Amino acid sequence: MATTTPVGAFPSPYSIETPPGCEGWEEMYPYHAFFAPARREKDENRFWFWNSMHFPLPMSAFDVACIDSPYQAVGAWQNRVFAVPPAMGIDYRVVNGYIYISGNPVTDPAKIAERAEFFQRRAGHYYANWDELYARWREKVQALIDEVTNLRVPEMPEYEADEVMFDDARNSTFIDVLESYQRTLRLGELMWQQHFEFLLLGYGAYATFADLCKSNLPDIPDQHIAQMVAGIDVILFRPDAELRRLARLAIETGVDGAFVEGRSPEQIESELAGSEAGRAWLEELEQVKDPWFNMATGDGLTHDYTSWLDDPRIPYASLIGHIAALRAGEQIERPTEEIQRERDRLAASYRELLDEQARGPFDELLKLSRTVFPYVEEHKFYCDYWFLTRWWNKLREFGALLARHGYLEDREDIFQLGRHEVAAALDELVLMWATGGEPLGPHHWPPIVARRKQLLERLTQWTPPPALGVTPEAVTDPMTIMLWGVTTHRVQEWARAQGAEGNELIGAAASPGTVEGRARVIKTAGELADVREGEILVCTITSPAWAPIFSKIRAAVTDIGGVMSHAAIVCREYGMPAVVGTGRATAQIKTGQTVRVDGTNGVVTIVGEDPA
Amino acid sequence: MSWERSYGRALHELRAADAERFGGKSAGLGELIAAGIPVPPGFAISAAAFMAFLEGAGLGERVEAVLADLDPTDATAVADASRHLAEAMRSAPVPQELRAELARRYAELDAGSDAAVAVRSSALGEDSHEATFAGQQESYLWVRGADGVADAVRDCWVSLYSPAAISYRARLGAAGAAPAAMGVTVQLMVDAEISGVMFTCNPVSGDPSVTAINASWGLGLAVVGGEVTPDYYLVSKVTGEVLRQDVCSKDVQYVAGPERRGAVRTEVPAERREASCLDPGRLAELVELARSVHRHFGYHQDIEWAIDREGTLHVVQSRPVTAAPRPAQAPAATSAIALVMSTFGAAGPPGGGS
Repeated sequence: MATTTPVGAFPSPYSIETPPGCEGWEEMYPYHAFFAPARREKDENRFWFWNSMHFPLPMSAFDVACIDSPYQAVGAWQNRVFAVPPAMGIDYRVVNGYIYISGNPVTDPAKIAERAEFFQRRAGHYYANWDELYARWREKVQALIDEVTNLRVPEMPEYEADEVMFDDARNSTFIDVLESYQRTLRLGELMWQQHFEFLLLGYGAYATFADLCKSNLPDIPDQHIAQMVAGIDVILFRPDAELRRLARLAIETGVDGAFVEGRSPEQIESELAGSEAGRAWLEELEQVKDPWFNMATGDGLTHDYTSWLDDPRIPYASLIGHIAALRAGEQIERPTEEIQRERDRLAASYRELLDEQARGPFDELLKLSRTVFPYVEEHKFYCDYWFLTRWWNKLREFGALLARHGYLEDREDIFQLGRHEVAAALDELVLMWATGGEPLGPHHWPPIVARRKQLLERLTQWTPPPALGVTPEAVTDPMTIMLWGVTTHRVQEWARAQGAEGNELIGAAASPGTVEGRARVIKTAGELADVREGEILVCTITSPAWAPIFSKIRAAVTDIGGVMSHAAIVCREYGMPAVVGTGRATAQIKTGQTVRVDGTNGVVTIVGEDPA
Repeated sequence: MSWERSYGRALHELRAADAERFGGKSAGLGELIAAGIPVPPGFAISAAAFMAFLEGAGLGERVEAVLADLDPTDATAVADASRHLAEAMRSAPVPQELRAELARRYAELDAGSDAAVAVRSSALGEDSHEATFAGQQESYLWVRGADGVADAVRDCWVSLYSPAAISYRARLGAAGAAPAAMGVTVQLMVDAEISGVMFTCNPVSGDPSVTAINASWGLGLAVVGGEVTPDYYLVSKVTGEVLRQDVCSKDVQYVAGPERRGAVRTEVPAERREASCLDPGRLAELVELARSVHRHFGYHQDIEWAIDREGTLHVVQSRPVTAAPRPAQAPAATSAIALVMSTFGAAGPPGGGS
């Protein structure tokens, strides 16, 4: 995949300087995560791209668990279980807090042939028994969600309970605390294992269908391929569907007056609690919350993405929008029947245009793609949203425990420590509880936390280049292409844009149409509440969890992502232009600027400065 | 006048099978009219008229003699031969019988008025599946009066022996002793505000699910002759979405000349140069037209169209697409699983080995 040229159009990973004031950022990350001198010859001659799709911001020390575990899991399935012939796992490196990744290819033909035998047998088994295996998968993941929800984080008692003495099966609290923490970490690892069990095969079936379409119909838009496959009644749309139902209910029962733009969820709820109809509505809301409010406010991979349960501002903003739209006489239902009809019409029309001999494979691959697609869409709800928001909350409980004993100032500070550092802090906590001695932790950890918070804030101001190392002649790694949308074409565009200022950004045309409007640059989920009616959302990657605010915006622009991404499909469903994979939109566009989004040709143009 | 001695036929009476007497263009227009496609009314002159002209003027043998000795790779010799034949043909009279028929049919076209017409060649062997003679024969636009039509018909015949046409046929091995035969198409002129060309597939990628459209201001000459870079639109036939749109700077156009005779090249007014010629409604109309034309013929077509100043869309020509590539084909009888395996770099079905 790499050429022999030492350094191409992208900077060498060894040439990146630490931004002023960020010296020592390395302390937040594992020793193996760097572009170290010992690996220079190899690392400098590889192609690395910024994984802004999953990690758009500098990573806090604890969140590295959501890099290590997924790459352990994806590598294990891809390289050691299925033995995907040309691709092993994915390496990552941290540069100024940002995550760069690169696949490890298999190039030896004999090795590829050896792996092909494994792959055919094992992947074949999965495809042949997909529905049954996937049903079992759901049970396994549901069990993990239940366990992480119910896991107890013990308090350190003055005296142990009697049972510790009389019941042989009961351990002392120090064991319980350590075990509970280890189990929490293990549950995260187990979830990541499940997360990737079907992912590669699911995406692979879909990618094959897309290839078949494109080789026979070279001009077919990616979104049409996605539309032919996408599920109609998928779990990811259910939370917003429930919000629309609640919006209708509010109007029907005459409590819609409480939903005023600018009010906080607490203000709205306190007004509702004042009337019988309002209380009935709140009861209905409680029914909906489990499981449908287990949506994350973003993609869930970092601790700041809490769930709607923790942060009801997003569902309430969406309720306010839906109610206003209903009052204005607008149709807010997702037109499922129409989507179904359009999906079938597209499939029939394209099939009709194919040559006779291509129709058989088209039918079979479309069927297989539709079989695997529920997993591709639903795993996000189960794993990335439902499980992870609960998992982060469980860790907050450990944060609270450490904070109660002065090891941290605030429970949130736990995320500034690496997971092994937290284990060390808990070790000391239970040791000092047991010995009654003088703990050092309260002196040791808070300064570290404060320094790291400052580092992260400063690193956020740095703009990472889209790629490092050599420009590959061709991107051949199937995972890089399927999961990240990083194709040869995209890399060439990034390379061309290196150093270019300009007011035009090129990306993938994800959803057609052209609009002009005020840009709103969003880097964290917390800023989502700032989005105003009619703005153009500019973000590193749109998460399907943001769908509710899509009713407010007029277009979406992202730094990374392919047209296969769910967010692109959601944009299409909302009939709004989208350009994805621009590489640098959040770096180049400023909130308040006027931008034109041409989702038909994949071009974003900055046409005016902020009048303010 | 007996049927046998009539050289003309109304376009709407023609069908594909008439191509061997009236040429591909006239027969194709007849087919389009039969399919309900909007084509400006007109009539066709058969190749027999051309033969009668050559015979009447005693030119048949001269043409054969000149071409028989010609080395088609010798540019000077080809140019000399072309000039020699053109002079001889221009000084020969159009037979009286044919003149009378042209006058009668021309008068019938627009109730005896001095209507403007387009006179185009409709060569036999032109516009076939195998080869397109695109641009090798002249068109005469904004022609008025019966005498003007007769002269334009003769000019079309002359164009059959332009240096380019001679070389082109020579390349196809058709420059032999027999003179090429040619029919002529006479149609009411479309006073085009916008015109262009469209393919019922993508001529570059071969994708059959899209229509590729070129459009520019004024008459189609500027687009066909490559004198402007026209606007380019790629439209999905499945959803009607505009998949690609390149609006170019179009600085010249052809419009009716002084006294609305002949076509002249003018500058496009500055405010229109950068403007898109077609809006979504027009594109939808063109795509629908492309679908109808393709459906009628059953194979992909290259269509010349024009929109007049009242906003009505007309087709002025349609011919088979000859050079579009075929997209890569999926290997026959390959299972979905085998294809998925190859996505992962593991070709062949499990256990089968391949």
